[in-house]
Amino acid sequence: MKIQVVESVLKANDAVAHENRRRLDRAGVRCINIMSAPGSGKTTLLEKTIPALLPDIRCAVLVGDLQTTRDAERIGKLDIPVVQINTGRGCHLDATQVTSGIAALDLRGIGFLFIENVGNMVCPAGFDLGEHARAALLSVPEGDDKVAKYPTLFQPADIILLTKVDLIGVLEYCMDRVREDLSHVNTRAPLIEFSSKTGQGMEQWLSWLRSQKR
Amino acid sequence: MHEMALASNLYDQVIRIAQDQGPLTVTKIELEVGALQLVVPEAFEMAWEAIRADSPLAGAALHITEIKSSARCRHCERVFEPAIDNYLCPNCGQADAELLAGNDIILKSLVCEKEDPA
Repeated sequence: MKIQVVESVLKANDAVAHENRRRLDRAGVRCINIMSAPGSGKTTLLEKTIPALLPDIRCAVLVGDLQTTRDAERIGKLDIPVVQINTGRGCHLDATQVTSGIAALDLRGIGFLFIENVGNMVCPAGFDLGEHARAALLSVPEGDDKVAKYPTLFQPADIILLTKVDLIGVLEYCMDRVREDLSHVNTRAPLIEFSSKTGQGMEQWLSWLRSQKR
Repeated sequence: MHEMALASNLYDQVIRIAQDQGPLTVTKIELEVGALQLVVPEAFEMAWEAIRADSPLAGAALHITEIKSSARCRHCERVFEPAIDNYLCPNCGQADAELLAGNDIILKSLVCEKEDPA
């Protein structure tokens, strides 16, 4: 006998993600899923962003890494709720891990929950976590060809930050190449040229974040 | 290696259906994989072999078919087939695509036999 199923293999994850989103909605929390390669500046972005949103918006963070609590320790210095999720061998966060992370957080008075995904340009993009928006980071030292090489990270992004732009002169970086590649992949997401060192792009990023708070 | 997570999801899904509608012995699993899901069929099969070894699904054949991608332009509503590195709408030229198919793995059907009551 043949049983017709037609059901996504990701159905279980998507159902949990949907529940996460509902729970965050009820708590009035907007959730941003931050994705990029390792070392492109996700933690540093959060270290700069979270104090800049105070005092009007308080934030909490879930950090995903294979090992260590180093990122959570860095963000914990900001005196905000933070939970480290160690995925062990897992190359991405899934919705169930985020459910556990949310359960460990006190969401009262929180405006934004940032999820710092596992550093990886391929796997995280396939898993809905219950976020409201996705931010993709691309750092200048990674090279100007990464949008073309890893389009599935950038295609569903709601905002794209090109980080460490203070290094553009040093590395002979071709911004036109990035823009050209994005013109085939995602023209919806704003592209912000960002530097945590000089502060370039910070106002644009904060303004985009505030626009996400409905 | 998200193939391992996907294979593990598939295992749970097939076991659940075989129990709900049976008990049934699953002999064939038919999957549709989208080109945009970035699943390497060989890696998926390797993960699947590891997960289903010594399980009730050890004898089930896995059949994977690749399905076409489909997207809707958020600007002009045109439905088109994007490539993994090109989401330009052929009508209005914007790259603002909502993916409709191709970024998923679908469990299409199961071929089963009724288990003999012991």
